[in-house]
Parts: sequence; structure tokens; C-alpha cells
Amino acid sequence: MSAATQKVPGGAQAPPGAAPTGILSWILRILALALIDGITIWLVYQMVFDGYVPLAATLALVTIWVNIVFLSGRFYPLRYVAPGLALMVIMVLYPILFTFYVSFTNYGTGHLVTKEVAIEVIESQTYLPADATVYRWTAYKNPAGQYKLWLVNPDDPTEVFTVVPGEEPVAHTGEPPAELDGFTQIPTNQLFGELGALSSLTFGVKPDSAFQVSQTSLGQAARFEQQYVYDPAQDAMIDQQTGEVYYNVNGTFTSESGKTLTPGFAVMTGFQNYVRLFTDPTLSSTFLQVFIWTVVFALMSVFLTFVLGMFLAIVFDVPEMPLRAPLRSLLLIPYTIPAFVAVPVWVGLLNPQFGIISQMIATFTGGWVPAWFTDPIWAKVGILLIQTWLGFPYMFVVVTGALQTLPNDIYEAADLDGANAWAKFRKITLPLLLVTVGPLLVASFAFNFNNFVVISLYNQGGPPMPNTPTPVGYTDILATYTYNIAFGAQGRQDFGYASAITMMIFLILFIITQFQFRYTNMLEERGRNV
Amino acid sequence: MRNKLLILLSLLVIGTMVLAACGGGQPTAAPAAPAEPAAEEAAPTEAPAAEEAAPTEAPAAEEAAATEAPAADTGVALTIWADEVRAPILEDLGAKFAEQTGVKLVVVQKAIGDIRADFITAAPTGSGPDIILGAHDWIGELNASGLLAPVELGPNAAGFAPNAVQAFTFTDGKIYGMPQATENIALIYNTDLVPTPPTTFDEVKTMSQAIKDAGTKYGFLRQVGDPYHYYPIQTAFGGYIFGQNADGSYNAEDLGLNNEGSVAALTWLDSMYADGLLDRNANITGDLMTSAFQNGDAAMIISGPWAINGIKAAGVPYAVTNIPAGTQPGAPFMGVQGFMLNAFSKNQLLAQTFLQTFVATDETMQAFFDQDPRISAWMPVADKIEDPDLKAFAEAGKVAQPMPNIPAMNSVWGGQGDAITLVETGKLTPQEGADQAQSQVSTAITGQ
Repeated sequence: MSAATQKVPGGAQAPPGAAPTGILSWILRILALALIDGITIWLVYQMVFDGYVPLAATLALVTIWVNIVFLSGRFYPLRYVAPGLALMVIMVLYPILFTFYVSFTNYGTGHLVTKEVAIEVIESQTYLPADATVYRWTAYKNPAGQYKLWLVNPDDPTEVFTVVPGEEPVAHTGEPPAELDGFTQIPTNQLFGELGALSSLTFGVKPDSAFQVSQTSLGQAARFEQQYVYDPAQDAMIDQQTGEVYYNVNGTFTSESGKTLTPGFAVMTGFQNYVRLFTDPTLSSTFLQVFIWTVVFALMSVFLTFVLGMFLAIVFDVPEMPLRAPLRSLLLIPYTIPAFVAVPVWVGLLNPQFGIISQMIATFTGGWVPAWFTDPIWAKVGILLIQTWLGFPYMFVVVTGALQTLPNDIYEAADLDGANAWAKFRKITLPLLLVTVGPLLVASFAFNFNNFVVISLYNQGGPPMPNTPTPVGYTDILATYTYNIAFGAQGRQDFGYASAITMMIFLILFIITQFQFRYTNMLEERGRNV
Repeated sequence: MRNKLLILLSLLVIGTMVLAACGGGQPTAAPAAPAEPAAEEAAPTEAPAAEEAAPTEAPAAEEAAATEAPAADTGVALTIWADEVRAPILEDLGAKFAEQTGVKLVVVQKAIGDIRADFITAAPTGSGPDIILGAHDWIGELNASGLLAPVELGPNAAGFAPNAVQAFTFTDGKIYGMPQATENIALIYNTDLVPTPPTTFDEVKTMSQAIKDAGTKYGFLRQVGDPYHYYPIQTAFGGYIFGQNADGSYNAEDLGLNNEGSVAALTWLDSMYADGLLDRNANITGDLMTSAFQNGDAAMIISGPWAINGIKAAGVPYAVTNIPAGTQPGAPFMGVQGFMLNAFSKNQLLAQTFLQTFVATDETMQAFFDQDPRISAWMPVADKIEDPDLKAFAEAGKVAQPMPNIPAMNSVWGGQGDAITLVETGKLTPQEGADQAQSQVSTAITGQ
């Protein structure tokens, strides 16, 4: 009997793993997919409306794929992996690709908007020609929602006229009446609500009698002129008042005399960010030092937490120990405290002047206290101390679990061969543990390579290194160091450059972890031979 | 074959259901701005297309915060972002504003750091607020991206303190904010340990020695690094960060971090450590400095009005006085908070008019002061301040210099902070530290 045709109760014949054909199953699937599709279509519509086209496309593709998985027979076995894969594409792959894209642009402070928006904003600026009169206006509105302005020249009270959008001004005399040709004067307590509509209209007829309400002072109107006009041929903004031409230089309209117009916009800059990364003297001088410390920091964090966690797990692996469960729970506490809370508390405890730990050390050494924050070596020791405290419970739990999977008969065989405890640990426990725990160690390394939080909270990467071209500290890791370069202390956000740096760190980490995975595969080979 | 038919059928059913769901209602405006407001989102900042002349007096008794506007309401609203201290004040004012003009004031409360960051993200997309309440040193960065519109102070402009207006004036000569309150730091001292306050930094040193000999841990105490709190010491000896032009604006090309005055200031600071009056390895942070003062372990600190509540609670007898002088009176930084306009807002004239006629008045400025006692930037209210501590801060603030709002200022903090730290921990001499600060900061500025 071929596996392809098993009989299923109810009479339906279906190959195992194919989509079930029961009517209830179809109904449920249709309902669920309808819901997901509805939400997706609404989201995609909103995103395209707001201009986020790539994200909308990704979402649409993923949803179509989910539909295929759940409806088609062939892909049905993927159904349990489908949600995870879908989310991974949207939440992990897409941001990576987007960061990669941004690293080729100059998106950041001064280049935040798109070109269309920048042109629109710059073209909406107006100026008052030198000889123009500023009139005082009173506004009228008719039941159809149209507006009329009554304009008076404050210097020449006889110059009075009314003007409506699209028609020539009509002269009048005297004071503004309450009613005029079907238009009623807008009372003061309703005026504020109308300001938005009034300021968006051009009254009168261009080019000679076009009046606009002043955007900055209530009650004033004049023949404002558009200050800048975009010339697509030259790709430049031309100042109508002075004639100055502002050319598009890398996303900022710059004139020959060096003046610029804001806002600037984001443009593709090709490999400029990467070139800057490699030729930046500030980065290359201290880069090696920072990189070495980053690798050492990650390695030592993993090593210390693993050793302590493993030691405690083996110690606690004795069923006869009293209070085993409560003690284990207590040991988990450091893992439950978020780093944001734990690190500042430790910083306080370690303070050379006021911290308890330092004071205790002082009683033993007669006054000498390690300079936890001002000496490069002791700062690193302090950080690794905190890292070990924060991370060992995780390793403790993981190794405890892994220990349960080790077969007992191997240990009995080793006892028969006369092995002592250390030999048993080194030749049996450790290799078998590393097989299971290996990938987790690699993951922990990758996490600590970018452990921004602990470094930044400890001493902001300090103590500072003297005589460097840019500010850098002895405990700065690549992540904090490059964060400062891209974002400054505050106020400058260079997303394009930061994205290039991110891709570089990703590349470095990728290469390192490839080696680590090869090593754990080798361990797995050895583990099979134990 | 049957399978394919079923698939097609189910796709049809799904499609129908989906279109039925989507096609029925109107898609609501996507909530792009990341606010969790007490009030509603700024949907009506789009130009009110279906405007009616009719009832905008309706929201007379309506709180600006609570209820959702009924579907037929096409009234106009003005959105303003403020921090947790001032949002409640603005909501009260908003109720009055709505009564008088029929325009709702939608107040969105955010943490002050979030206002700046979220504004940068939200404003260019058109879904930002019309007005934000923030600090004057933001205008460098916000203007670099073209996010602010110039503010016209209006007919009541004369009521604002000149140096507060100067703080909001950018290098192009235009004003980008309406000031509301100013703050600066001053010398806070323990009146038990320091009977007469010092007037020069030399006196600070000798007094600190005497206080230390008498048993207190520190005479004068300051935190490590921190160029903001170090600035008054730097200026007291004639140093400066950016030179000032004739009209008071800052010149980014004139960096004074290693001029004679700055070096003299670092020398004084280094001598405090060398003479044992301050501890090189202590790693004193701002919090530790304040708590040392509260415990009576420090007699003199340089801090701001935010520290006063804690000091009062600790019961320490204190007083506030001007920053001591070196070769000239020490000038602290002045920070000014004020209202800034979003250049992408569709309600510019309305926002301007709101600021000119409603905010720049005695009544509103007094209401701000009553609920949040800070030195007001509105002179009639500032003159009436009676609280002795605030008056002392205001006195110290008479020589305060507005923190430079040029974009180059952002490059100063890192390099200058490191240099001060290196001198304080003894790793560099004052001259070396000043030179390093100068070179690191000028590299950072030109790299922008």
C-alpha cells in the first residue's frame, strides 16, 4: 500500500500532509484568510497613500504567500512555519534590506523629506515686494462657503475695495457693511475658525491684482509674491526677488555664494557613506583599539557567564541537595532584573567614594580602592563583573536543562574505566554540553558584541582616551563608538552614515559567527563519537 | 481538478468578504504620529474642506481633552505638544480659547525628549502638531531640516525679555520661537557652613580649604565632566565656546576652547583637585553632587532650580547667589523654553494669531507661572516674582548667556566633556586638555 493513499475515516482519501478537505476546515480557513487579507489590504492602502511603497509591497507579497500556503495542497505542510516565516520576512529581512538601502542615501538631519515635499515647501514661501502696500482686511462669507475680503489701505483711507477669488477688485467707499451682496461679515468669535481657509486662497486675479492674507500677522493682506520657483531644466530654485539661483547640490539647494535653502531632501549618494567610513581619519585611528576591546568584551562575557553558570548547574545537579528548588529560584534573580535598572545600581555600589563595595574593599586594603571609572583596566574589570552577574543565570538554566539530556550509561562506563571527576567532566560532560549549548554561546557572543546598554550606562564608554582626533573612551565598543560618530552627542542624526556603519558591523559579526558555527559543527562531530 | 476548483472558489469567497469589509466604510486617517494623547489625534489639520459658517460656539463647555468630536463636526483644531508639566496648563487655557474663538486646542502630552525626536519624524510627513513647546537650543537642528516657521511676536512683542528673544533668534536674524520661561544655574550654598557667600573663585578655594579642615567632606563640589555646568567657571576666567558677533548671535568659526581664559579656568579646576579639595577618582555624578549637598557633605554646588525641592526636603539651610567671578562674573548658560511653529502645518496663520493674541498676554503668562513656577520670559510677570530662590536665580541669570542654538553646538558636548574629565582625573594638563577639546570639537564641526 503506498503511503500516498491512506484511508481516512469519513471516506475522503487524502495523501498525508496535504490540505484537509473537510467542510469545516475550509470554512475556518476562508474566514481566517479573509480577516488577514482584509487587514492587509487596508494596511497596504494606507501605506501607499503615505508613500511607504516598498513596505506595502513586502506585506502584500507575504500575505499572498500565506494564502497560497493555506489553500494549496502542495505547500500545506508549511502551515506551522508560515506565520514565523512571514513575520521574519517583515520584521527582520525587510529592516535589514531597508537599512542597506538607506546606507546609500544621505538621509538624516537636513535631508529628512522627499524632493517633492521640499520643493512644495520652498515654493510656498512668499515675500512682500518693496513698494507693495499692506492692506487691512475684513472677511465676508456667503452661505455657499465663498469668501470675500474688504481691503482698506491704512495710509490712504479712500483706497477701499473688495476682492473675491478669481475676479478683479471692485472699488467701494466708506466702512465695511454687515451685509454685502449676499456675503455676511464674519463675526470675530468665528473668525479664528476661518483663518485656515482664508490663508489658502488667492483673492483677485494674477498677476497684478492677486492678494493673499498674511500668514504671520492677523488682519493684514498684500500682494505677496512667490519667492522661489523651481526650474526643472536646471534642477534649481530661482529666487524671484533677487534672481539668485540655488542649484541642487546633493539634496540641498545651494547658491553659488554658499547660501542654502531649507528643507533639504534625501538623495541617493552611492558609495559615499562607505568611502567616508574607510577614509575618515577619526574612525581609522582608534578603530582597531575599539574593535579589539569589543571582541574581548564579547568573548569574556560569554566565557565568564558560561563558566559560572555551568559550575553552578553541575553543583546543583545533585537531587539530594536540600532547598534545591528555592536556591535555584534565587539564583535566577539577576536575570529577571532589566539591565537598565541593574547597571546604575551597580554603578552606585561601585562608586569609589560612596559605594558599599568600594568601602568594603577599602577596609581590607587600608584605603586603596580600585578606580572603577577613571582607570581603563579597572573600568573594564567592573563592566565584566556586572556582565557576569547579569548573564550567569541564563547559562545556569540552559546548562541545567542540557545536563538532563546526558545519558547515564556513559558515566557508568567511565567509572568502570577508572576515570576521576575531572576526567569525566573534561571528556564527557563538556563536549556533550557544548554540542547543545554551542549555538547559544554563539548567539550570546553576537548579542554582547553589540551590548550598547551596559557600556553606555556604566560610564558612557569612558574613561576618555587622551589625544585622539574624536572623543572615544576606553570601554567604548563598536556600537557606542559609531553611535557617537553618526549621531553626535545629540541633535545631529546622520541615518545614512549610521546605516553604512551598521552594515559594516553586521559584516564583521557575520564573518566571526561563521567561524564559530563551523567550530560547533566540529564539536557535534566529536560529540557523536563520545 | 476538484482541488483547484475549491481553491478558486474559496479565493472568490475571501475576495468578496474582503471587499465587503473594506469598501463599506471610509478608511480612517492613518495614525502616523506616535502619540498616546489624552486628547484626540490631529485629524483636522488638513484644510477643512467642508467648512460651515455655523456652530463653532458649540464647544463652549467642552474639555479640549475628553470627548470625541461628533461625526458632523468639521470645526478647526490647533494641535500642540507639551510636556507633562505644561500640558495641564494648556488644557485649561484651551478651554477658554475654545469658548472665545470656537477653535479647539488639542493638547498632546509627551515627555520633553520625545517631543523633539517625534517632531523630527512626524513633521515632514505632514502629520505633526502645529505648535510645540520646547527648548531654544533645538532650533539649530530643527532649522537644519527646515521644520520650523519663523514666529512673529506680534503687537505685544515688547513684553518679552530681550535675552530670551535673542535665544530664539537664529543666524538668519529671524525669530523661531515665542519665549515662555527661562532658567539658569547659580551657586547654591549651605548657610550654616558658609556664612558669607564667596564672590570670587579664589575665595571659593580658600573657603573650601577652611571647610574641609573644619571636618566637612567637601567645600565646593562639582560633577565630573558636564560642559553645561562647567560653562560658568569657564566664562568667569574669560573663556568662551563660540565668539559672539555684534548683534549677539554666535559665530561657529570662532571657537574659544583653548584660549587663555579657557585654559585659566581649567587650571583653576585642576588646582582644586591637586590641592586635595576634590577627589580625582571619585566619579561624582550630578545626582551624587546633589545628594552630598543634601547630606551636608558638600557646602557649595552649582546647580539649577530643579535641585531646590530636594534640598528643601532634606532640611539643609541653603541660599542661592550669583556665580562667583574670576576675572569677570561667571555667566551660566540660559535655557529658554518657548512655543515653536511647525513649518509643515496647514494652520500657520491660526497658530501665529493664537500665540500673538492669546499667549503673549499677562493673563496667560501669569497662569503659566502660577502652576509651574519658573522665571517667566514675560517681563511684567517676571517682575512680580516674590519667591526668594527664584529671584536669586533671576539675579544670577542677568548675566546669563543663551545656550548657542547653532547646529555646531551639538558637536561641542562630546569633546569638551571628555577634555574636562581628562583634566579632572589628572590624565592631561589643563593646556593639553584645552588643546584636545579645541581640535576634537573643530574636527567634529567641520565633519558635519
